[in-house]
Amino acid sequence: MTELSVASLLFLSGTLLAIGLFGILTRRNFILLLIAVEIAMNAAILNFVYFAAFAGTSSGLSGQAIAVVLVGLAATEIAVGLAIVLALNRQRGSINVGEATTLKL
Amino acid sequence: MSVEELAFLALAAVAVGTALLSLLVRELVHTILWVSVFFVSLSAIYFLLSAPFLGVLQLGVYAGAVTILLLFGVMVTRKRIFSKEVATGIGPFPFALAVVAMVILALAAASLPQPVTVVRGYDVTLLSAQLFQVDGAWLVLLGCVMLSALAGAIYLVREGRE
Repeated sequence: MTELSVASLLFLSGTLLAIGLFGILTRRNFILLLIAVEIAMNAAILNFVYFAAFAGTSSGLSGQAIAVVLVGLAATEIAVGLAIVLALNRQRGSINVGEATTLKL
Repeated sequence: MSVEELAFLALAAVAVGTALLSLLVRELVHTILWVSVFFVSLSAIYFLLSAPFLGVLQLGVYAGAVTILLLFGVMVTRKRIFSKEVATGIGPFPFALAVVAMVILALAAASLPQPVTVVRGYDVTLLSAQLFQVDGAWLVLLGCVMLSALAGAIYLVREGRE
């Protein structure tokens, strides 16, 4: 039977969230921005999975079900993000978010 | 220290290292390769936490689909796919600050009481019953979101839009 301490797991997901936030705040390339968002989102999904692993049957199963839904949502977000990247690249010739200063793509 | 704890520590180190590397390297293609290693290490952590279905889902959706989508995005938006980014990396002062904050947080986490909890696995049949019977509304909602996202993505990239 696997035994793990909660503090180390929480520390891991907190660190991953911090790395994702660092990327969101500092990177200017849209694709890098998307990757940073994915890293932060994976930290959240990790939280759901390991609290599910420590909880009782019914609430634990709910945690895993929410994690499945979140994985789908993250994939959807990447698809829409890449559509925005393509539109931005066609309109401006670059995918630097600093150059996208108007709402009209 | 048990084998599971050692494996978890190694996987956590790989996850944090590759996440950092993916945001710090200068070539966008290398970024995507590192982030795929990050996704695989997270999937291994899910297997360690007795969530094999989520581990497989992570491998298929993230390490497979998302990585390929990102690579595709890089390939269609630049002429030379190995060209370097202008400004990446991190300055010495923010890096030192981050290291100090990490050490303080690690010490704080180590000073907490460390209840070692037994990880429990669930049968995949139980999970599927939960997904499709109890939490079925969430799946329907996810389907609606995905459908509208598909429509939105097609609207964004369609030809002849001013």
